[in-house]
Amino acid sequence: MKPLLPAAVALCASLGTGAMAQDKAAVLETYADIAAAAYGDSLITAQRLQVAVNALGTAPSAEALQQARAAWLAARVPYQQTEAFRFGNPIVDDWEGKVNAWPLDEGLIDYVDGSYGGPTDENAFAVLNVVANPGFTLSGKSIDAAEITPALLADTLHEADGIESNVATGYHAIEFLLWGQDLNGHAHGAGNRPWTDYATGDACTGGNCDRRAAYLQAATDLLVSDLEWMAAQWADGGAARNALTAHEDAGLSAILTGMGSLSYGEQAGERMRLGLMLNDPEEEHDCFSDNTHNSHYYDGLGVQNVYLGEYVRVDGTLVSGPSLSDLVAATDADLDAEMQRKLSATMRALGRIKTAAEAGFSYDQMLERGNLAGETLVMGGVEGLIDQTRTIERVVTTLDLDQIAFEGSDSLDNPGAVFQ
Amino acid sequence: MRFLILLAFVITPLTGWAQDRSATIQDVVEAHILPGFTRLASASAALSQAAQADCAAASEGLRGAFNDAFDAWIGVSHLRFGPTETGNRAFALAFWPDPRSATPKALSAMIEAEDPVVESADAFQTVSIAARGFYALEFLLYDPQISALGSGAYRCALIRAVAADVDNTAQAILTDWQDHYAALLISPENSDVYRSDEEVLQELFKALTTGLQFTADTRLGRPLGTFDQPRPTRAEARRAGRSLRHVQLSLIALRDLAQRLASISPEASATLDAAFAQSLDLTERLDDPVFAGVADPQGRLRVEALQQSIGRIREIAAADLGPALGVAAGFNALDGD
Repeated sequence: MKPLLPAAVALCASLGTGAMAQDKAAVLETYADIAAAAYGDSLITAQRLQVAVNALGTAPSAEALQQARAAWLAARVPYQQTEAFRFGNPIVDDWEGKVNAWPLDEGLIDYVDGSYGGPTDENAFAVLNVVANPGFTLSGKSIDAAEITPALLADTLHEADGIESNVATGYHAIEFLLWGQDLNGHAHGAGNRPWTDYATGDACTGGNCDRRAAYLQAATDLLVSDLEWMAAQWADGGAARNALTAHEDAGLSAILTGMGSLSYGEQAGERMRLGLMLNDPEEEHDCFSDNTHNSHYYDGLGVQNVYLGEYVRVDGTLVSGPSLSDLVAATDADLDAEMQRKLSATMRALGRIKTAAEAGFSYDQMLERGNLAGETLVMGGVEGLIDQTRTIERVVTTLDLDQIAFEGSDSLDNPGAVFQ
Repeated sequence: MRFLILLAFVITPLTGWAQDRSATIQDVVEAHILPGFTRLASASAALSQAAQADCAAASEGLRGAFNDAFDAWIGVSHLRFGPTETGNRAFALAFWPDPRSATPKALSAMIEAEDPVVESADAFQTVSIAARGFYALEFLLYDPQISALGSGAYRCALIRAVAADVDNTAQAILTDWQDHYAALLISPENSDVYRSDEEVLQELFKALTTGLQFTADTRLGRPLGTFDQPRPTRAEARRAGRSLRHVQLSLIALRDLAQRLASISPEASATLDAAFAQSLDLTERLDDPVFAGVADPQGRLRVEALQQSIGRIREIAAADLGPALGVAAGFNALDGD
């Protein structure tokens, strides 16, 4: 569901007044504060990744590659928790594809195994391999890629030829450059790119090590600048914060839209259930690094954060304030208890996936055909997410936000419709 | 008691009487849902029998039975809740869209390896959804490469296994509906799933709006692509020549559901029906069974006009029908990327 247009919002009668209105304003403020903190943390951890990536480029070694991988994994922790902000806030949703697009045809970027195949019906550039090719033709245009710059990645390569799986930027492009393809199929183990893919001179493996390092640095620089921009949107006076707080009920609706859309259509459906039912390890969200269990876990935590109005920063401090939970409890304490219970149940189910994966039963093993234990674990998460979405819908109804949701869906494809 | 009834009146002036809501639900269940899944179950049984009788990809009997069963599925494909979601049954019947070509890849791998999983109906249920259901069968019967790949004997066994699996899944869905889910919708207060008639109506309303969205955005939107990059090869079930037919069948089924839901509001009923009639009229005049025309400006315009007319139905549903039913838009599986 796409979020609301301000024009649609203006047509809605304001419901709350007095004390209630104040509560709503405070709830929106907490939400924006959490967003500012979580994007701020995403920026801080991406800057640490940038330091590690530059070190790898300057003095390649097994240790330097390992440190860059560790920095990437740490950077995912706050970022995944921001996904709850995506679907409710147009400013985030429009931007998100630059930093977290997935799945990708990684052959666009660098060398791939022979089993990967060639160009597909859907994507003629699935094996373009920019690292190996300083010049090529794209949609009839001759491209000079002698120098790999952030602008080349963002403006020319990303979603090249109008194909979404041509992902040239963001976390997953960087993940591929750090880990390489996971060729273990359903067996345990992540991608195993040798550090010598970044070595200089004769030690270089995989060819074009300097161009690979340049790509990695350009993609990381771009990630940092994109996150800088988004963190600023949530600061005081930032566009995302202003849009959220312009109308209280629309703001609350945006919070719930983000919670419900991420829980159901995106996470339970696209990311978890579909991958399981296809038995395809390539359908893992963080498939190169085998970090999918964390990716799912922190997505779920982001939804819970937003409802409870609490977020733990990467330095351990707690950001908290008046919450949606408080607001629901004031109207219907039982419904608040139900929502809290279901969010906790989901976190327990996602926690089971995470603990099993960390103990050695990795997510791609769970997806294997006939693996009943894996299926049960993944479906536990899916069912928790679907179940909590039903209660999110009840919260929308209880807070009298239904009509706003209608205006929202009305404006989905036809912004002019609301003026008719 | 009297006080409660009066209160209900005051709170829900637009939604009519509770009795109306209950009657509407009963009508949708008995005249829309149950007949639809009964058709699917019997057509799927006939499909499995036809595959047993003659498994040749070009067999007229098999192709006829396949098309009948696929028709029946499209007629209920918008009813994605309850029994179709248990055990991921709807996914097992219908995995599409398939942006990464998982279906031909999974089928080729099975045929080349002569995967013995086809020997057991139980084991076949663990196979990737990409190699199960109607869209896999379409490749096996109509795709020039897949229908000639590997050994004929194995392909025959695979076709029979897929058809039998479709049959099993369709029967399981129908049994669930008959045994408890129909009663659950009609008397939601006895269940954990829905709290009230309003929540049931929201589920049915979501089935309508999600079905419309899928037909407009996916069945038409995927082949349309963009003006610079039209994607005719993304048309649904184009190998069997069924792309436009799916749009028509889904609109017919959704119109029936909309009319039954709109019985609560004569005004919404009339405008909705007129909008459906207009869309169906456009499909009749399109004369482009697999949307090959999206690649030329003239043909593209006509497909876009059809898509826009479905957008109009969606607007009416959201603006008139939803409020008349007193339900919110809610979340659906198409939310997200």
